Amino acid sequence: MPETPEDLHEALATAVLELDEVLTADLCNKAVALGYDAWTTIEQGLIAGMNRAGKLFDEEEYFVPELLIASDAMYAGLGILRPHISQANTIHGRRVVIGVVQGDTHDIGKNLVRIMLEVAGFEVFDLGRDVPAQAFVDRAVEVNADVIALSTLMTTTMTQMSKVVSILEEGNIRHRFKVIVGGAPLSQQFSDRIGADGYAPKAAQAVQLAKQLTGLVNAAA
Amino acid sequence: MSDLAPRDRLGRVLSKQGVDRPPVICTGGMMNAAVLGVMEEEAAPKLPAAHFSSEGMAALAEAVHHATGFENIGVPFCMTVEPEVLGSRIDPGTLACEPKIAAEAYASSAAVDIQDIRTLLKSGRIGTVVQAAYYLKRRNPEVPIIASLSGPVSTAASVVDPLSFLKELRTKPQDAHRVLDYVTRLLIAYAEEVARNGADVIAIGDPTATGEILGPKIFRDYAVRYINQLCDAVHAAGKPVIVHICGDMSRSREYLADLHCDAISTDAKVNLVRLKEDYPQLNTMGNVSTTLLEFGDAEKVSRTTERLVRDGIDIISPACGLSTSTGLDNIRALTGAVKTTRLN
Repeated sequence: MPETPEDLHEALATAVLELDEVLTADLCNKAVALGYDAWTTIEQGLIAGMNRAGKLFDEEEYFVPELLIASDAMYAGLGILRPHISQANTIHGRRVVIGVVQGDTHDIGKNLVRIMLEVAGFEVFDLGRDVPAQAFVDRAVEVNADVIALSTLMTTTMTQMSKVVSILEEGNIRHRFKVIVGGAPLSQQFSDRIGADGYAPKAAQAVQLAKQLTGLVNAAA
Repeated sequence: MSDLAPRDRLGRVLSKQGVDRPPVICTGGMMNAAVLGVMEEEAAPKLPAAHFSSEGMAALAEAVHHATGFENIGVPFCMTVEPEVLGSRIDPGTLACEPKIAAEAYASSAAVDIQDIRTLLKSGRIGTVVQAAYYLKRRNPEVPIIASLSGPVSTAASVVDPLSFLKELRTKPQDAHRVLDYVTRLLIAYAEEVARNGADVIAIGDPTATGEILGPKIFRDYAVRYINQLCDAVHAAGKPVIVHICGDMSRSREYLADLHCDAISTDAKVNLVRLKEDYPQLNTMGNVSTTLLEFGDAEKVSRTTERLVRDGIDIISPACGLSTSTGLDNIRALTGAVKTTRLN
């Protein structure tokens, strides 16, 4: 077992990266027992490990099964550390409403984006799959979201995305939300045509897009 | 050879004999052309009712064939027949939206209750598809009848919660293999039954089994293994088999050559010319972009199709599932271009 907080963080990041949920939980319990700062442990350990897994995913060393298992390990650790976070630590507070549009129940891609958004500090409201256009808008208004993220795998249901934009326009609230779209049959061209604010071909790029659109990073970065 | 009947032309391509030009087909199943225009134009049965009646399914499949110019007749019009038989709850969809899984039958691979295959074969809509193939074969002897099955990985991930299943491919390989073995045994029995009753060709659509989701190792260890068991069984039944894999195959591409199919159909992202160069033994099928078919104009569809024909792609087809709002003009531009393009 590691001797210093830094060693423990490194071991924790490695445990998440190596998909070891049991070791991740053990190390988080140890961090709590030793009185290490929970927020730093999450950031330097769990999230660092998940980011490394995400990098391997981008590099096509890891694929969907590995990323899902790594995120299970990360969430197991978060469950242990979260009650010990001191009040001084707040995340940036940007909110995303996410879901798979009505008519489609394929949610693997949406779940990957949700995980990566949470890792990046977004507060994510996941509406699940087969979500009516109006429900996205209602929830976004209710939680005062910054971003509405729409996913679909099916060509049949792509039109549901433009319906969300239309509902926002009809309600004169289009300017209050950034709408981003993703899914295998989509393209930047499609995003432009329906008047969305952005498209991302991969989960990690969706996070970058959400950061740009909410002013967390500038577009050039 | 220019007056080859569609059934002979497809049969010759799949057995690697020479033809005058590539056939143009749309297999059914995940890749079906039961678009709104067909149901509006032809006095055909409507969806979702036609998913549930063998006569309705057969008549709609014939209407698709007549309205589009595709040189085959394909059934069914969804990917939910097998998961439904295996206990998942399906949403029948609407006129414009295909049926989908409303709730998977099991939360994990270990929870799957293995049932008798012969009993399952008599349940759900397997009989509907088999009977539809029977009618179609009797009424259309010159046209190849294609029965489309959901592939082993996609079926398993529609019976077990897909996120659990994908994780268990790595964390609990024994449980995942148990489910895939079970699902594959059902698919083999179903393929044999529908081949015996009228299907000339079996198509296997396995969109979840893409290397883009699974990665090369899991693609090889699971997808290739079980798809090949199914292909071998179809061959033993004396029929050819087409396999469709979605997505950009990236690092799993080399394993496409290991599939025991008679033609491989891919997404628009895959360069079929290069695939053919690298693996000359493969019969390639595809891959007119479904986005182009839905949003492009007929002239561009024709040009793209002509290029595929001139590039020597063996069978011309849409690249993936068509949106039901795809216009008939564009589909006819695709099929028309294949039939009129002259090869020098």
